[in-house]
Amino acid sequence: MLNVIDYVPGDTLLHRLNPVTKLALAAAIIAATFLSDGYAALVGLLVLTLALAAYAGVFGRLARLLKLLVPVALIMLVLQLVFVRSGTALLAFVTDEGLITGGKACLRLLGVALPLVLMLMVTKLTDLANACVEKLHIPYKYAFTFTTALRFVPVFSQEMNAIMEAQTARGVEYDTNNPFKKMQLMLPLCIPLLISSVSKTDATALAAEQRGFYLRTRESSYRRYPFSAADFAAFALCIALIALGIVL
Amino acid sequence: MSAIIEMEGVSFSYGSDAAHALDNVSLTVNEGDFIGIIGPSGAGKSTLAACLSGAIPHHYTGELFGTTVVDGADTCDITLTDISRIVGSVNQDIDAQMVASVVEDELLFGLENFGVPHDEIEGRIERTLATVGISELRHREIATLSGGQKQKVAIAAILALEPRVLVLDEPTAALDPVSSRIVFETLADINRRLGVTVIVIEQKVALLSTYCSRILVMDHGSIALTGTPHEVFGHSGNLRAIGVDSPRTVRISNSLVRDGLTDRSEPCLNVDEAYGLIRDILAGVEGIADTAADAPEPSPHTPARPHADGTAPILTLEHVGFTYPGGGASVEDLSMTVYPGELVGIVGQNGAGKTTLTKLLNGLLKPSAGTVRVAGLDTRETPVSTIAAHVATLFQNPDRQICKNTVIDEVAFGLELTGVDGAEARERARAVIKRFGLPATEAPFSLSRGQRQMVALAGVVVMEPEIVLLDEPTSGLDYRECMTVMETVSDMADHGCAVIMVCHDMEVVSDFAERIVVMANGRILGRGPAAPLFADRALMDQASVTPPQVIDLSERLARDVSPAFAHITEVSDIVRTVKELMGRA
Repeated sequence: MLNVIDYVPGDTLLHRLNPVTKLALAAAIIAATFLSDGYAALVGLLVLTLALAAYAGVFGRLARLLKLLVPVALIMLVLQLVFVRSGTALLAFVTDEGLITGGKACLRLLGVALPLVLMLMVTKLTDLANACVEKLHIPYKYAFTFTTALRFVPVFSQEMNAIMEAQTARGVEYDTNNPFKKMQLMLPLCIPLLISSVSKTDATALAAEQRGFYLRTRESSYRRYPFSAADFAAFALCIALIALGIVL
Repeated sequence: MSAIIEMEGVSFSYGSDAAHALDNVSLTVNEGDFIGIIGPSGAGKSTLAACLSGAIPHHYTGELFGTTVVDGADTCDITLTDISRIVGSVNQDIDAQMVASVVEDELLFGLENFGVPHDEIEGRIERTLATVGISELRHREIATLSGGQKQKVAIAAILALEPRVLVLDEPTAALDPVSSRIVFETLADINRRLGVTVIVIEQKVALLSTYCSRILVMDHGSIALTGTPHEVFGHSGNLRAIGVDSPRTVRISNSLVRDGLTDRSEPCLNVDEAYGLIRDILAGVEGIADTAADAPEPSPHTPARPHADGTAPILTLEHVGFTYPGGGASVEDLSMTVYPGELVGIVGQNGAGKTTLTKLLNGLLKPSAGTVRVAGLDTRETPVSTIAAHVATLFQNPDRQICKNTVIDEVAFGLELTGVDGAEARERARAVIKRFGLPATEAPFSLSRGQRQMVALAGVVVMEPEIVLLDEPTSGLDYRECMTVMETVSDMADHGCAVIMVCHDMEVVSDFAERIVVMANGRILGRGPAAPLFADRALMDQASVTPPQVIDLSERLARDVSPAFAHITEVSDIVRTVKELMGRA
């Protein structure tokens, strides 16, 4: 089974950029998304993200995430429409101001979620951790914690699937169409999942220590992550994006 | 040979009021040894491994007595990191051990941490990958590897650090027989060529007896037996009392010795040795080459059950196909029929499609072609939760099945789901729990792994289903627990329940299953009575299945020594036939 945040191998410029640069790029797009206040800018940033994904050959994967996010975004839109009462009424409880702010909130949600995921798709987690330790001087302990947490997401979701399959085979009605009933049935499963995750985490800590985790320093990494001309160009792009975000 | 690890009177308990997990263990490991550790579950095998690798006292807390000296230093005086420079350990759960997404990075992690000079790293990675035989996997994503390949990566990641001792906790638990053998070949090669001391916990006796130079048998926290494989398996009576299996060939040679047919003092550890022994015994006997075989007697474990005629099949598959949406092991054109009271084994390598088949049977997967009918229901039109009332599944990992706070709630849960009244469900659950001797009011998660599997089994038995599906029922269980599971399900089969089991242990399959289905690459290669199919060498090779030892032996004896050995599937029949042939002369 493949997961949304799994690394997708490739040799595009985006793949070859320094992980720190990619992080900066994602951060810049997100910052610009927050700063800008026009539809054109928000849509433009979203298109930029999707274009980068298409260039790196991960558009299909990102589209799968989009399929999950769009319903969430629509719920947000509806909530905004209900709660924003100012402006002229258009239809029933919908006001023009509600529609505008709600639409922007939707676009912002997508614009914030996608760049980070895209960055994770084109960067190996080990590279990300090592580059952050080398360039940003983040202690390795934190970088390792972060990457391990991300690595465990698919492991736990597989475990959850296996548990649900086992329970379904016993006759628990996970195949019900009622989402609330399903939710209620899923709660007891937190216990087996929690128990297996605690023991897994403990085993991970032990295994890492037995492989010299505490000896690791900033100089340990075999790979070096120097900035290239492309990285500096990307940094310039980052600044431009943020500037545009402020202006627009 | 010098000692690399010395344990002196070591006892350990995981809490001040807990029982001793290790009890006064003294042990010397010499450099270059290949030691196998075996014992029933709860015997302290993993605790012993934790002491050897320094995880006790540095990671697990508890009360420790005695001393463990690794390469001249007491493990209490040096850090875990320093111990790991000498003793590398491979976890039971390799997913938890992995830190990277690509094979190469997995090897780099330890090398970088221990400060191996950067100009040496490339050479080490290349050498280690070549040693383990996975050079071509260097740039692969770990998530895309098979279980056997992953295990080799885990071994390589530790081996790259050039430890002098390698400690492995059940490295083959999740692997099929072929991959298990390859892992042990790799370990033996590392041991022989690099002189690395190997200490491995393992339940598969055939592997231990073939590869280890020394075997430790553990029982109740102490070392019950130790010696070369020949010495240890010479005590097969003791082993059985402890709850440890012996290779079938050992049972044959021990019986022959007991009956005074040979004066060979060493037990036969494999089919070659047993073949040689019986050939030598019968060498002087005239006229046996044309003695015809008796009609094959039904094995005592698999009595002919009253099915076949008249009964309607409980399960039918007609040209069933299934393809996973994201790719992966698809199956096609599966056809089979199972009658009530039958015990059918499904055998084949990892990735042959066995698990997909079981999921098609309990409705978790719906066929994309053909039809699956279970107890008269078409699985495509019936919700899984309805099928569950007819088909009970015992999964490989009991922890995925268990979700209640007490054993009795857990066992009654399945019944309640199918609409049985609460009081009656608990009544029935109580009866089953009593039969299994389980503690009704305890929390399932406080029990041992073997007992949790028993709780899950009790949950299956209480359902009184028409079909029982077993997915690797014996993995992770010791010999005694394994026999309890198998005897329970074969008892259910006697009462008219159809049992279908996926199992890697061919000895268990040949003991209990009357019919087998041989699978490879998502297809059924053969199905029919177990003994003739196991004796079909071409079929077994095609499916990469190692036939059970007794069938392998009897087939070879029938071909070269006397046709009287044909169709034998039981240890006792081999011994009886040898006696008869001797008597005839």
